[in-house]
Amino acid sequence: MSTIKKDSGFGVAQIILLISIAILVIFVAWPVLLILFNAFFVDGNFNSTDFYNVLTEPETFQALKNSLIIASMTTIGSTIVGTFFAWLVTRTDLPYKTFMKSLFLVPFMLPSFIGALAWKMLLSPNSGYINTFFMETFGLSEPVFDIYTYYGISAVEVMYLFPFVFIQVCGALERMDPTLEESARISGAGLFTITRKITIPLVLPSIMSGALLIMLYSMAHFGTVAVLGIEQGIYNIPTLIYEKIHQSGGSFDSIRTGTVLATVLVVTAAMIIWAQQKVLSRGHYQIIGGKSFRPMELKLRGLRYPLLFFCLAYIGFTILLPTAVIFLVGGVSTYGLPLTWENLSLDNYKYILFEYEVTKDAIFNSVTLGLAAAVITMFAGVMISYVIVKMKVRGKGILEFLGMLPFSVPGSVIALGVILAWSGKFGINLYNTVWIILVAYIARYMAFSLKANSAALEQVHDSLMEASRSCGATMWQSLKDIVIPLVRPGMISAFFLIFLPALRELTVSIMLYAPTTRTIGVAIYTLNEDGETVMSTALAGIALILIVIGQMLINHFTKKVSE
Amino acid sequence: MLKKTTVWLLSVMMLMMMLVAGCGGGEEKQAAGNDSQKLIVYTSMKESLIKGIVDGFKKANPGIDVDYQSAGAGKLMAKIAAERQSGKILADVIWTSEVPDFYNMKNEGILLNYKSPVEPETVNPFDDYDGSFHAARLGTLGIVINTDKIKTAPTQWSDLMGPDYNGKFGIANPALSGTSYMSVALLEKQFGWKFFEDIKANGGRIGKGSGQVIDDTASGELGAALAVDYITNAKIEKGAHLQLCYPPELLVVPSPVAIFKDSAKADAAKKFVDYLLGKEAQTLVAQQGTIPVREDVEIPAKFNLPAPKEALEKSIKIDYIEAIKTKEDTIKKFSDIMQIKQ
Repeated sequence: MSTIKKDSGFGVAQIILLISIAILVIFVAWPVLLILFNAFFVDGNFNSTDFYNVLTEPETFQALKNSLIIASMTTIGSTIVGTFFAWLVTRTDLPYKTFMKSLFLVPFMLPSFIGALAWKMLLSPNSGYINTFFMETFGLSEPVFDIYTYYGISAVEVMYLFPFVFIQVCGALERMDPTLEESARISGAGLFTITRKITIPLVLPSIMSGALLIMLYSMAHFGTVAVLGIEQGIYNIPTLIYEKIHQSGGSFDSIRTGTVLATVLVVTAAMIIWAQQKVLSRGHYQIIGGKSFRPMELKLRGLRYPLLFFCLAYIGFTILLPTAVIFLVGGVSTYGLPLTWENLSLDNYKYILFEYEVTKDAIFNSVTLGLAAAVITMFAGVMISYVIVKMKVRGKGILEFLGMLPFSVPGSVIALGVILAWSGKFGINLYNTVWIILVAYIARYMAFSLKANSAALEQVHDSLMEASRSCGATMWQSLKDIVIPLVRPGMISAFFLIFLPALRELTVSIMLYAPTTRTIGVAIYTLNEDGETVMSTALAGIALILIVIGQMLINHFTKKVSE
Repeated sequence: MLKKTTVWLLSVMMLMMMLVAGCGGGEEKQAAGNDSQKLIVYTSMKESLIKGIVDGFKKANPGIDVDYQSAGAGKLMAKIAAERQSGKILADVIWTSEVPDFYNMKNEGILLNYKSPVEPETVNPFDDYDGSFHAARLGTLGIVINTDKIKTAPTQWSDLMGPDYNGKFGIANPALSGTSYMSVALLEKQFGWKFFEDIKANGGRIGKGSGQVIDDTASGELGAALAVDYITNAKIEKGAHLQLCYPPELLVVPSPVAIFKDSAKADAAKKFVDYLLGKEAQTLVAQQGTIPVREDVEIPAKFNLPAPKEALEKSIKIDYIEAIKTKEDTIKKFSDIMQIKQ
């Protein structure tokens, strides 16, 4: 008995555990360790004064401050917007609620740097279409709104990030046990008291965790600040790392500055994740799920249609307007011409699609990178989650700790880490190839896959596996015939959760691209940076079409799976 | 919710897009595989100029395939430095407008010494020519104005301190653009730092790259900018409301071309340099509204540009060796005056 146990236990379980640990170490832990090492060690000696010096340089300190300012404003804004709309579509009698709910998820599709490009054209102080319209129509001498400010950058980030909060709060409000509120009502509490004493405390953990997610994202976000901030001298940490890496001729000093900045990001991220865990664990027991009572709805009465109109106007203003501007500006022959019929044509689109070499490369690179990263990460994710959720082997604790890492490492940190790890210092040189981007994507999206797969695995009861084992199946057999079919929905959703964001990725690939390895995001960004505004918007338009098609296919397939 | 046919249609569309991309990518892969047969040119010239030249070269030399990477000079140099660290420079030919970089590379001994037989036919701005690099274009910078915003064209550099330009004049960031760096160095040489202090006092602004300041001027975000000739002319050609004006102290920035010593395709690279200095390529250069290096090439009259020799005489002179030594300081001083970082 004991020998059999040993055989099967070591043969398969240990190997899976070791492979899982190896994957996480190679792809995630090692690059991060290299960053920390390079930040604190100079020529092999510990040196914290250098770290301190870099950090207190006015330039880096300002970037840190900017990152914090923008992230805080974005977080506050998104939390207010997200919570308000979530409340509106779950707890009121707003007309067309389910439709409105899916509408509020659309901003997720629009990559925020493309949104930033659009808002630059709409709201740059002297030439933005909205600003010039108001200045000409009402004779104003000052622009209505200057997008090149902290407010502008944060507003754009809020527009495209608020769904993080929206989804979390919607979920919490729907899962919340309505009897809690009802009992308060029966005891004579008014709506205001109920909201203040029951509802808000119950959904607060979800709001907080969504807010922290946005904070984490915004701190490490490249695109919006790069498009709207750099020109005005507003740098945040990722944009400063990018500038350092790209303009210094690859000298070690600049990479070191990059590692110090990256270390700050890692530490901040770790603190945010820690806070999130704290908040979630405190709030967890309060929400009792599983009961399917309809929560009571607030009667909006006369406000029903005005509020519906407000929601639609919000979507129109933040989604339709920027998208329309992208497609229109992509159609004018040169930037600055008025958007009239005689100035519009499909020439730029033709040029971008059929003549511009970079487009083909970029679409090919993004699609293949997305597919490869999604497939690899999906399988690696299911294996690692399996070990964490289901297996009882010694040494699992290490894996659990390693499994937390992908969640807390921001994209720009991963990019810097893979440069350190894979540019020849350790025998393998992937720099300037497409492989280095793939390695970085795997590290970046591992968290998505772990999340989706472990959620799916938690629903598979251990007894199924035990039953098959007791009928004489080997571990591999029962994995293949029982577990994999049951977690397939989780795997598929992991695949799409990775494929689509990878298709429009910018933060990581901008640091790693070479002449022939531009991704779609990089191609749009560099065209814009080179002053080819109309061409970059034309390409952005094409990218948007690709993304929307992809999203529709996903909706279709995941619906099938969940049925 | 979606009809079956719609889904089918969408899938087909997605597949087709991937296929289109796939074909392009396929060629790409092949190219990467047969690395040794493709000549790679790194250049800061924009698509509108480099594409025509490369196409012409391919036509004249059917056996040689060429790939080019067009990006800002600063980015290309960073790339080359990174490539050198990892052992091999991917490019065979480099053609940018940042002359000091070429002197640096020459001193580091990474450039191939090649005296092109075509060189005697050209106007050579470098007194110390030794075959390390050739000027392939005499770029000029002028003041581009948005004709809707500024009605009277500037004739002097000092016009920029006037009320018309208050808060409206932009210069590309010299840390990003080689041409911009050279023009800052030239203007500083001629007028001293006071020139930039005055511009700042009149609300002067910093743009990103040398292309972006022109688009910003075309859109009206800026009223005027320091602009590179051919990029501006390409946009005027397409109907942008712009005009390029040249004050008498001409800013001429030669764009040198050089071959890397390690190039495995030195023969093809030499042919490319010869072609670039030849009449055909220089005619293309002139048609883009920039000064060629050959007296026997006519510059279209609409561009209002002097002939090569005359341009060099009118231009602000600078000692390139000196400019290398002071490059970092120049950029820093400029950044401090213009307060680039917040």
